[in-house]
Amino acid sequence: MTAMVPSILPPLLLIGPLAVALFLLTLPWFRDSLPEAFATDTGSVTLLERIHLGSIGYVFLLSIAALIQVLSNGAISAFGDWLFVDALGAVFMMLVGVVGLMTGLYSIAYIRHDLESGAIDAGKVRIYYGFFSLFQFTMLLAVTANNIIMMWAAIEATTLGSAFLVGLYGQKSSLEAAWKYVIICTVGVAFGLYGTVLVFSNAADVLADPHQAVLWTALVGHAAELDPMLVKLAFVFALIGFGTKAGIFPMHAWLPDAHSEAPSPVSGLLSGVLLKCALLIVIRFYVITVGTVGTGFPQMLLLTLGLLSVGVSSLLFFVQQDLKRKLAYSSIENVGLIVVALGVGGPLGIAAALLHAINHSVTKALFFCSAGNVLMKYGTRDLRAVKGVLRVAPATGLLMMGCALALAGFPPFNIFVSEFMVFMAGLNEGYGWIMALCALFLCITIAGLVKIVADSVLGKSPETMAKGDLGWKALAPLGVLAVLVLTLGFAVPQPLSNLVQQATTVVMNGDSRPVVAAPWQKYDGQTYDTVRAGGQLVTGSLSQTEISK
Amino acid sequence: MNGFLIVNGLSGLLIVSSLLVTLAGNPANSARFYALQSFILVMLFVALAGATGSGELYLWSFTALLTKVILVPAIMYRAFRRLSDPAIGTGAVMPTALSIVGAAVALILCFVVASKVTLPAADAIKPALAVSLALFFIGLACIVAQRNILKQVFGYCLMENGSHLTLALLAPNAPELVEIGIATDAIFAVVVMAALGSRIFDTLHTLDARQLTSLKG
Repeated sequence: MTAMVPSILPPLLLIGPLAVALFLLTLPWFRDSLPEAFATDTGSVTLLERIHLGSIGYVFLLSIAALIQVLSNGAISAFGDWLFVDALGAVFMMLVGVVGLMTGLYSIAYIRHDLESGAIDAGKVRIYYGFFSLFQFTMLLAVTANNIIMMWAAIEATTLGSAFLVGLYGQKSSLEAAWKYVIICTVGVAFGLYGTVLVFSNAADVLADPHQAVLWTALVGHAAELDPMLVKLAFVFALIGFGTKAGIFPMHAWLPDAHSEAPSPVSGLLSGVLLKCALLIVIRFYVITVGTVGTGFPQMLLLTLGLLSVGVSSLLFFVQQDLKRKLAYSSIENVGLIVVALGVGGPLGIAAALLHAINHSVTKALFFCSAGNVLMKYGTRDLRAVKGVLRVAPATGLLMMGCALALAGFPPFNIFVSEFMVFMAGLNEGYGWIMALCALFLCITIAGLVKIVADSVLGKSPETMAKGDLGWKALAPLGVLAVLVLTLGFAVPQPLSNLVQQATTVVMNGDSRPVVAAPWQKYDGQTYDTVRAGGQLVTGSLSQTEISK
Repeated sequence: MNGFLIVNGLSGLLIVSSLLVTLAGNPANSARFYALQSFILVMLFVALAGATGSGELYLWSFTALLTKVILVPAIMYRAFRRLSDPAIGTGAVMPTALSIVGAAVALILCFVVASKVTLPAADAIKPALAVSLALFFIGLACIVAQRNILKQVFGYCLMENGSHLTLALLAPNAPELVEIGIATDAIFAVVVMAALGSRIFDTLHTLDARQLTSLKG
């Protein structure tokens, strides 16, 4: 492990959204001692929005500042190393900051619409923004935790923090979704606790100082000394536990319900960021397990569950008629693909998994928010009723079409780049048949996405539907996300490529520099072809010497 | 050595109390039996602290007494006693005898797993370790084989007690903050589940998990 530089940024990053959440959620208790503007929820909606904007802006700026510090100085830490951000954590912290900002901005228009349509009252607006900040705080805690018990507690807290967002509308279906979400994830994450306890107990016996046994960085350093049987058991528990939260099959049952019933910006945050945060914890346990028992056991489990996730979700995706449930199944599929890439392993496989996590996060947040626009316009998520979006709301239609093409893995969108890397890594490591199966399942998804474009985006719009797009507040954040989807599709920017490489080094627990680039992209003067030998990609990674040439 | 005998003996009582929690007629009674189980767990922590000489475990016993014996059962008792859905009876989907046989089978399987653990710290407390794992799975069974959503919450509490016991058995010198972290999280989990459960009852007038099936596919 590289040395950690003490920094004030991790605690600063956490304290902002926590303070905002506590303020908004406890406001009724001390309302009387505040200025007139806070006298009632109804009168303070604009003020609530400003506080919310301040919170998401703060998280975005601080996460970018922490990211820059990590890129230039290496891992940063605080509170006796209980909090830390290494390159791996920084990838996910960036997602909380960026996707949180965009879905947070989009929330303004969406929640205003819900308020005006009577779906929620002003009190719920305060609760929404309060829990939005709390949700961001819990996710940030999960990605900045070095203490493995705190990691578990943070993942558990993400469920508790977002359950009320899922059940916000208080209808039968949303309460049902919230209950399933809480019970399945809490039980799932209880498995995670057991896995965490096993690793910690084992390390406490091995390490001289029990206080060190709780730190992930110390565990990785002493992984070889742990009991193989206990670590294998712990990995199974952790994979089931945190895999439940990540939406891996067969523990995914909560996901379509929660994603479809939550307000659309929250769906974007759940799918785009929360699933990835849980995956980060799976990756952290994977690193420990590899250090103790080698790659064989964890990779076999990851490949099996990943492939099953891709297969089952692609079929369910195809038959689904509810737009947001369809997107939820697509999230399970993409998480499955990330897990397959982790299971494939090697520097290229790990880098592909991380890049796909980033790309999917941005694309899916965009798609869920576009679905939110459709919901605002048509008043339904049923694809049999949503027709001709391009004619009714041209900008939303165009965004939806772009999302569908991106998610289908067409160039020049970002998903193509990372999926290409996943397949390259798979072939490189000798998993040709698994990649062939994945390709087959992805074809089913493509068919489903083409159907969305053909029927819902391009089809004939209902005659009674008033034409005209939604306001700029509902479109601008989506525009920014669309620019990101396209930019990352043309070329992986150098800083992002560096970040993914450094994160891969953390996962591989040793220096490794995979090629993180689009197939057509010049990478330090080289392309994929330069590392081919005899027509085959031999390593998928460039050595330090090759990079410096 | 006698200390470890007491630990292993008390762990047997945990299995009995977990069955009482699972099979109780209504959620309010489950809360009482849960308090009883937590009290046994606290006694076990004290015995273990005496046997291992761990100062931290005495502190754990105190915080567990506050949170698990008093606070969590009180929250659940207050929240659940006014909620009643006579239509689902006890809510159990399996006959009582089958539940007891299932718990016995789980316990035997957990003994097999615990016997394979080679950690020196586990040598004297393998029966208790097996019980802690079994407690976890009995909790899981309580959720899966239970129609009453409020009693599902107790399933989670049993799972959490199982994890807590494993931690105490294998790492008696764990920092107090670790234990506080787990206990605090469990309190929040129970509060959120109790609040959601109450809201479901108020809105839908049922506690039956089988009525919550409008979302499919």
